[in-house]
Amino acid sequence: MIGATTAAYLARRAAQQERVRILYRRALKDTLNWAVHRHLFYQDASDLREKFEANKHVEDLDTIDKMIAAGEATYNKWRHPDPYIVPWAPGGSKFTRNPVPPSGIEIVYDYGKEDND
Amino acid sequence: MALRAAVLRHIRLPVQTLPAAGSRPQSQLSFLRLFSSHDDHLTKEEVIDRVLDVVKSFPKVDPSQVTPDVHFQNDLGLDSLDNVEIVMALEEEFKLEIPDKEADKIDSCNLAIEYIYNHPLAG
Repeated sequence: MIGATTAAYLARRAAQQERVRILYRRALKDTLNWAVHRHLFYQDASDLREKFEANKHVEDLDTIDKMIAAGEATYNKWRHPDPYIVPWAPGGSKFTRNPVPPSGIEIVYDYGKEDND
Repeated sequence: MALRAAVLRHIRLPVQTLPAAGSRPQSQLSFLRLFSSHDDHLTKEEVIDRVLDVVKSFPKVDPSQVTPDVHFQNDLGLDSLDNVEIVMALEEEFKLEIPDKEADKIDSCNLAIEYIYNHPLAG
């Protein structure tokens, strides 16, 4: 094979693997968004895993790129309109709800005591 | 009023020393009600226990081989997609939201425990 183990090949392969992992992660979260009940989620998750496993042994870099692009397009098409986001994360309901007060500001607890008391 | 003050001044209660040997900060903290959501950080042992429980209950993992410094792909023989699944399970367990780039780097129990312990909002 031309350049079977050159650095460029390996770097491209590693980048593709990272893209695949991130795509799998997002697709799995999306599956959880759509299928809230756990038994449905487990079935859908194993179907998703089968789809990824079926294409595991492809060697040609261009085919892999096309498959990743197709997978990302499918993911974009099936994205949930109202995904579950952890409340304090960006996009969640508690995000920047109680920001840390700026330092140097103190509350003086004098309970309304006035100077001529 | 003055009599009461005088009586109180002369009554002494015997001083009871708390058991100093083996003072348990853990149990003392567990009796404190912390009303702010930013004060109750997890202890390291709790994080380790919960992470190991999550990893052990993964169906493709042999529970007897799981230790706090096991590598998911090298020691447990898991796939990279299994790694992704474990990180998602940890996210669900600790109610965290790990960014994609960070989640990609979590490869072993060590890294997972460190990340979760240092995260300020780990539930």
